[in-house]
Amino acid sequence: MSDSKDLSRRHFLGLAGKAGLATVAARAIGVNLGLVEILSAQTGKGAVTPFSFAIITDSHLFSIPDHKFDKSLADAVAQVNALTPAVDFVMYTGDIAQNGKEDQLVKGKKIMSALKAPLKVIPGEHDWYLDMGKAWNGLFGKETWSFDHKGVHFIGLNSILVRDFWTGAGLTAEQRMSTMEMLESPIAGPWGVREAQLDFLEKDVKKLPANTPVVIFTHSPLWDYYPRWNFQTEDAPQIRQILAKFDHVTSLHGHVHQTVFNQIGNLSSAGALSTSWPWPYPPVQLAYPGSQMTQSDPANTKDGMGSQVISFDASAAGLVQYEPFANSLTPWLKAGVKV
Amino acid sequence: MKLNTKTMKLSLGAAGIAVGVFGAMSLSARPPFTDAQLAQQQQDLLEVVNKGRDEWHGSNPQMSSNGLACGNCHPDAAASNPNTFPKFVPQLNAVAPMREMINWCIVHPQDGKALDPNGPDMIALEAYAVYLYRGEKLQPGYTLPEPPIAVKSGVGFPAKPSGIGVDK
Repeated sequence: MSDSKDLSRRHFLGLAGKAGLATVAARAIGVNLGLVEILSAQTGKGAVTPFSFAIITDSHLFSIPDHKFDKSLADAVAQVNALTPAVDFVMYTGDIAQNGKEDQLVKGKKIMSALKAPLKVIPGEHDWYLDMGKAWNGLFGKETWSFDHKGVHFIGLNSILVRDFWTGAGLTAEQRMSTMEMLESPIAGPWGVREAQLDFLEKDVKKLPANTPVVIFTHSPLWDYYPRWNFQTEDAPQIRQILAKFDHVTSLHGHVHQTVFNQIGNLSSAGALSTSWPWPYPPVQLAYPGSQMTQSDPANTKDGMGSQVISFDASAAGLVQYEPFANSLTPWLKAGVKV
Repeated sequence: MKLNTKTMKLSLGAAGIAVGVFGAMSLSARPPFTDAQLAQQQQDLLEVVNKGRDEWHGSNPQMSSNGLACGNCHPDAAASNPNTFPKFVPQLNAVAPMREMINWCIVHPQDGKALDPNGPDMIALEAYAVYLYRGEKLQPGYTLPEPPIAVKSGVGFPAKPSGIGVDK
């Protein structure tokens, strides 16, 4: 997926600095950037070739055969495969499994193997704490990564790392996992990406020019939405600080099982619909109350769930369009969420 | 021998019930209660609330055959709105108390077996939800969607604030 051709284009434009200079230089050396690239370069932002990708997340698969959540994930896969135009890739932002079991992760990978587009994945706490990511890493590779695609820099981090609460308490692996499964459990404490990933992030973006559009994926939000349910990432302030040099950063996350939007400084955040169940909105006043979807009908097993597609236009403006299984969207959401 | 043991247990059980009935009857229900009595009453309540917290989070296998528990959709009993019952429940097409809504959730989303509406498990589940909503005003019926409550430290949670939530 890493597109060295686009990477070199972006670096070229970045080094040129001014968009006009880039255009002139491109013409002077006979590089055919194409109309789209030239137009976007003239906006002063990084050059982006318009594209879209999808997010599927939080499937919480159980080991039980033919569980209703298996079908729900398959429905999301079919929904994404049917998108027109087709997406360039699919991002999964964590919690494939419910209890961290390998068979649950394998089942999720198998269901998502029907995706037409390539899949990128980061873990959620439900994937991780039975074996501390061993099965997940074996199936999906490294949990920390970055790549460039059509002028946008994408970063994936593991945001569900907690301090060791199990060794001192003498907990078994199963007890550790079940502690993490409970959303409002106070035992595990706040999640974060921790020092090693902060170092990775700092090095990863060090040479990127400020006009590079950046998208960062984490399981949990990069703002203090509702820390009691870990609708937060403890070291999000450091992440935001590292990314502060960019003109604009888009944070896309799972975990909250709901539509939600927020803006802090240069960072826009949007949550994602799950394929399992919708969480209630926590008792906080949203800065963008229109981003709250309609109340879910418990008698409709598909209400409040779905997938989402994110598109970037040539001016690097991002738009999140939620694709609910049922009618869950307010007019504000139906118009698409600018990120 | 087995029969004798069983008979003996039955006898002891019957005696226990008798003692319990007479014991309960002998309790005064009129305040003022002594500090010790109040402490005991509160402890009894919190034990039931704690049992309800566990059952809310999946400790009772009768309540689910697909792995789902109340807590999956209702963390901190959010959106369970115990302060709005009894009310008209569309799923039941009737005005119903919370326990019937709980049983609806057990039978449908959780694909489990309904609890005895007057049994200790149901009482515990109700006690947990109501305890978390303590201090909220009674508001029978559907009005606007009820926002979840901001949960203070309670049973099952540390006496001190966790440091991760709104209960700071």
